[in-house]
Amino acid sequence: MAELLCVKDLTKVYGKRGAVTRALDGVDLSLEAGEYVGIMGASGSGKTTLLNCISTIDRPTSGSIQVDGEELTGLRGRALTRFRRERLGFIFQDCNLLDTLTAFENIALSLSILRTPAAQIRDRVEETAELLGIGDCLDKYPYQMSGGQQQRCAAARAIVTRPALVLADEPTGALDSKSSRLLLERLEVLNRERGATILMVTHDAFTASCCRRVVFLRDGKIFAQLERDGGDRRAFFQQIIRVVTQLGGEMEDVL
Amino acid sequence: MFCKLALRNVRRSFRDYGVYLLTLTFGVCLFYTFSSLDGQGAMIYLTQSQNPMAQVIQSCIDVFSVFVAVVLACLILYADRFLMRRRKRELGTYLLLGLSQGQVSLLLVLETGLIGAASLALGLLLGLAASQGLSALTLSMFSLRMDAFGLALSPRAAGRTVLYFGLIFLLVMGFSGIQISRAKLLDLMQGGRKNEELRPRPLRTSVLQLVLGGVCLAAAYAILLTFGMAFAVVLPFLCIPMLTLGTVGTLLVFRSLSGFVLRLARSYPGFYYRDLHLFTLRQWISRVHSTYLSQTVICILLLLAMGITASSIGLNRTIEAAADGQAPFDITVQNQNADHLGCVDFDALLTAHGMESDALAWRQDTPIYYNNPAVTGIEDASAAIRLSDCNGLLARQGAPAYPGPLPGLLAEGSAPLATGNLGLTCVVIPDEMAEKLSLRRQVWSADYAGDPEETEKQVQAALAEYQETTAYLRVESRLSLYQEIMGNKLLALFLGLYLGLTFLLAAAAVLALQQLSQAADNAARYAVLRRLGAEEGMLSRSAVQQVALAFLLPLALALLHTVVGMKAANDLISTAAKVDTVHSALVTGGVLLAVYGGYFLATALACRRLALEGGGAPGGCG
Repeated sequence: MAELLCVKDLTKVYGKRGAVTRALDGVDLSLEAGEYVGIMGASGSGKTTLLNCISTIDRPTSGSIQVDGEELTGLRGRALTRFRRERLGFIFQDCNLLDTLTAFENIALSLSILRTPAAQIRDRVEETAELLGIGDCLDKYPYQMSGGQQQRCAAARAIVTRPALVLADEPTGALDSKSSRLLLERLEVLNRERGATILMVTHDAFTASCCRRVVFLRDGKIFAQLERDGGDRRAFFQQIIRVVTQLGGEMEDVL
Repeated sequence: MFCKLALRNVRRSFRDYGVYLLTLTFGVCLFYTFSSLDGQGAMIYLTQSQNPMAQVIQSCIDVFSVFVAVVLACLILYADRFLMRRRKRELGTYLLLGLSQGQVSLLLVLETGLIGAASLALGLLLGLAASQGLSALTLSMFSLRMDAFGLALSPRAAGRTVLYFGLIFLLVMGFSGIQISRAKLLDLMQGGRKNEELRPRPLRTSVLQLVLGGVCLAAAYAILLTFGMAFAVVLPFLCIPMLTLGTVGTLLVFRSLSGFVLRLARSYPGFYYRDLHLFTLRQWISRVHSTYLSQTVICILLLLAMGITASSIGLNRTIEAAADGQAPFDITVQNQNADHLGCVDFDALLTAHGMESDALAWRQDTPIYYNNPAVTGIEDASAAIRLSDCNGLLARQGAPAYPGPLPGLLAEGSAPLATGNLGLTCVVIPDEMAEKLSLRRQVWSADYAGDPEETEKQVQAALAEYQETTAYLRVESRLSLYQEIMGNKLLALFLGLYLGLTFLLAAAAVLALQQLSQAADNAARYAVLRRLGAEEGMLSRSAVQQVALAFLLPLALALLHTVVGMKAANDLISTAAKVDTVHSALVTGGVLLAVYGGYFLATALACRRLALEGGGAPGGCG
């Protein structure tokens, strides 16, 4: 498969001389189209910074990020907005639905922003909503839906534009386990059936075990990588737990 | 410690306080400008010439100042409540950190005091400039010279302003103190989390409301236009239903809009799903739900502002036109006792007082006789005038001579025969018929040759002496009439501008406050839109459109009301004289554009800035 995302020697430094924090310290990462990758790490390991850099919300200090061969670090202003609009889809921890709009309108809004012809909007929204299992609550307002429904609605909003890359920042962070499982299952279906490329940040081992590949970050560097290789999820979960324990153990050694 | 915290809070939340400060400053400025009228050019002129209108204007303004102060107090309380709501969380945090409620109240009192003092100082400064402007305006209106009257801070007006606004600030401090001491910590902390209930309304209800609202408005208009302004406003059994119907109608129209517009827009997907229309409309509708009441109030305030300003300016022009018609000669003296004391030889009188004979460019002594129907053959007249006298008076004004028949009634609406009011219906008779009638009154009219003010002073002095010793003389001159009319004009103009500007200010400030506080609440929503990839142009368009909807809708309905109201008002005024509608409409439009447009522009720019800034990370939003 073709390489979709290519991150090379990415560095992000916060602060000035004397009090420098290296949030990212030479990260290399590569995603092929159709992959489903999780990024794990303790708080402060740089995983959110990495996601912010890829999603063009933050600017790296040095290094390069390429999506489909297009260099992101050089983009400015309008080109940046256009890239974000056309190639990326976001799912946040708190779903960030607009509370004055119904679910349908929330999803339709991202198509409006893309200037999709009005005639196509209804079909595409309904199709996507079906895929995520929220077809029956499209006319509800966010506060009338459960947390899980809201989060799936946000996911629908992220993928209705058919982005090249879906970025998810702790999507299950605010959900109970049942809703989490439902959301993750839907994301898997998306990945499998639509071929959507998903990059997900999480600190939850269970959530990470749904991915095909998991990248572990520590102190701004890639510490380890695990591949599922089509194996059982439970076994993959055990593998992840082992790495997490190792991560935690070494932390204690340092202390 | 508290002073420091208060100072820092004010400086930090300057943007929130900005509109508050602006409104306070404008209020103080307006109040001072009109309180200091007695020190302004035209008023000094009136007082110096001992015009009774000066006193009337002063007391009218004083009375209305109390009313304006009440309006401003309500406005400031409203603005304060807005600020408090925005700061709930912050105040809650203070309580959570262990400050007592008394201490938080003290903090608020200090902040309010600080803002109050700043706006008072700023407002007085602005007021000083504005009163200079108003003074120049009125002076130029009456073509008086400015340098004769110095202008300084009026201590009386400044004292009143400080007193009134001091009271208002005390009231505000008291209110915010009470609000804090009664608030629950939980409510304060969760102040921002309250969701707005959006119950979709059935279309049928909305349509029904719209139709009902339209019917109410039509009924109110019909009452006003059928019975005319004079009856509709004065008679309670017409006035109360008219005002009620108008208000209820306006309310219903605004209330129906929320359910209505959305359906309409949704049935045009090409419009609804283009750009951020979807978002803009939804934002607006979610507000209209809860703000239709304030929209109604704003609409009515706008109506009052426009109506009062337009009427006062229209009246002003009308009075001026009436003045010229009333004063054909420089002076007219009516000897009311001529019937039993005989005529006065005015020329001799004036010469005896040392007046040159060439001081007067023209004079005519006109005897007026009792009308005797047995002689003239005309019943319904109270007096008679000789044809030669009548034509002489008409010719001096450049009016056509009396056309006949003889004897015949002088047509109503023909040129006046004296400056001031004769108060008689005259029959024009052939000169020789006068011998058969008895003398009723002596009317002496003259035009000055030299400087009118000098000549008038001399004439008045001569007449006054005579009047003391002998007969009752009624003296009316163009100058005195002009001054009286100037007094009326000033009264109409000052009251109109004062009230109109107050209402306009109130409406615009309420709208601006609402919009700004909403825009700040919307910051999180705009952040989401930005993450979804909406361009800056889209965001700023949406923000400006929301402000425009909020400002223009009440204006549109208020304009409709005003047009109908002005039609009735003009009908009333035009029974007295011709109204200059175009001019008053133009001036009103200018004033409206300046104040309302200024607020609109400032609000739109501020909202646009709020929508565009705020970095990348979206805040929490359910």
